[in-house]
Amino acid sequence: MTSYRRKQRIEKILRYVVLAIVTFITLFPLVIVLSSSFKNESELFDFPFKFIPAKPITDNFTRLKENFPLYIWNSVKLTFVIVIVQLFTAATGAYVFTKLHWKGRDFIFGLYIASMMIPMQAVMIPQFLIIRSINLYDTHMSLVLLGAFTAFGTFLIKQFFMSIPDTYCEAARIDGAKEWTIFSTLMLPMSKAVLVTQIIFSFRYFWNDFFTPLIYITTPQLKTLPLGMTDFVREQYVYWGPQMAAALISIVPVLVIFLFGQKYFVQGVASSGIKG
Amino acid sequence: MNISHSLKRTGTILSFLLPSFIGFIIFVLLPMIMAFGLSFTNYSGGPNFRFIGMKNYVVAFTNPEFLKYLWVTFKFMTVTVVFQIGLGLVFALILARDFRGCSFFRGALYLPNILSSVAVGLAFMFIFEPTSGFMNQFLISVGLPTSKWLASSKSALSVIITIAIWQNFGYYMVLFIGGLQNISQTLYEAAGIDGANKWKQFVHVTLPGLSPMLFYGITIAVIRGFQVFDYIYIMTGGQQGGGPAGSTNVLAFDIYLNAFTYFRFGYASAESVVLMIIILAMTFLQSHGQKKWVSYDII
Repeated sequence: MTSYRRKQRIEKILRYVVLAIVTFITLFPLVIVLSSSFKNESELFDFPFKFIPAKPITDNFTRLKENFPLYIWNSVKLTFVIVIVQLFTAATGAYVFTKLHWKGRDFIFGLYIASMMIPMQAVMIPQFLIIRSINLYDTHMSLVLLGAFTAFGTFLIKQFFMSIPDTYCEAARIDGAKEWTIFSTLMLPMSKAVLVTQIIFSFRYFWNDFFTPLIYITTPQLKTLPLGMTDFVREQYVYWGPQMAAALISIVPVLVIFLFGQKYFVQGVASSGIKG
Repeated sequence: MNISHSLKRTGTILSFLLPSFIGFIIFVLLPMIMAFGLSFTNYSGGPNFRFIGMKNYVVAFTNPEFLKYLWVTFKFMTVTVVFQIGLGLVFALILARDFRGCSFFRGALYLPNILSSVAVGLAFMFIFEPTSGFMNQFLISVGLPTSKWLASSKSALSVIITIAIWQNFGYYMVLFIGGLQNISQTLYEAAGIDGANKWKQFVHVTLPGLSPMLFYGITIAVIRGFQVFDYIYIMTGGQQGGGPAGSTNVLAFDIYLNAFTYFRFGYASAESVVLMIIILAMTFLQSHGQKKWVSYDII
């Protein structure tokens, strides 16, 4: 019995040691970004690595003040608009695929699901030509339109709507409520948890999105934060300090949301795996 | 009365359907059809272009460079899938049960997944800086040889693969933790009574119970592996790039280059159709093969 106990104890310690090492490796790059943002050029490559800079500076951030406030503002504005638009298209879609009955419903939903398998590269060239032909190339509107449809979001909210019994809607219909009333005053308030999950997922996606702005935005004043951050990469000389500061700025909002809403992230990942 | 009622009903349905359906038609379905059409032309953005049959495909598959990009893409996909799923599974098994600190560790290992690929790319370019970066200094301090990392055709792809694994295994871990927690505890008790040891329980209860989630995870990882672009562009790409000696040039990156740097829309469309067919074929093969190892009735 004691040897069994001892074995369990060793197992437990071993588990913590392994987890501690892997957690360290996982988080260390973020620590480097954080600390390097406040180091001056001469201290950046000092080894052994010092977490607290010998002489902390904020110059790296002030050197971003020319372009980055605008990039950040563009990202904030666009992410906000796209999150709202996606929430609307996903929730209305979820409603029409669960609570309304019509011919071809399952077929069209099947198409939505199938589209999740289509690689973005397979549609990006025609998308580009379509956007160009309606004169929206190099506008923020192009990013909003391209982001409007979300198969994942529709699926996510649909999964939740399916768990709400139809009898709620039936009762409201008998009382003479219109579908839009049922949708907005009955379904949405009951679905807060999944709507928050959807908001968090689309926030993270567009705040981080690099590829779409890379293709559609050329005017410097229209650049988003992830696109603006690569300004450094193209230059001959790399300004590591400001580059780390920029990376830090882009990480912080997502990090804050993650710290407060970790369970929504987990729910989103988990429910994406449920077969529907 | 009846007709106006059904018209109203149709109107209501459309008002809910169209917000997503319009986007789906214009930016997914139509582009997909157009991509096929474009792949048979020599379209380069101007008004003069014509139908050239299979020529783009013939050019692609007779071009050793293209075959090399395909090979690099397969390499990236295979290695990242194996390690992301493997590490995801290992840490899901360690972290599925509740113990003190478990949610901290879950959160910490998942954290990289929420970060932007640009920020991650910039951070690792700094860490793997080819002369005096952290990684090289660390290697020197423990007496190991240094490397040029992203600047060398021998190591660039491996570095990017490592970063991709670092950023994504936590996602699969969270996915699998959800799957493990769905397996009924009574199955383990029953197996225990039958005298099954830990390993037997793992093989006969855990793996079958997790298999639907494993299948889903592998499918997703394969699709994402084939589409890798951001890391390549940021760390070894730039506008012309593709890494030292094209060593990190994956298919998705070559499609981007041909389309938006050289404006060979026809050829790039053909490449994108090839990518789509590969992904669909892989997904089809997997869902065909799943019958042999995925069990949906155990939970």
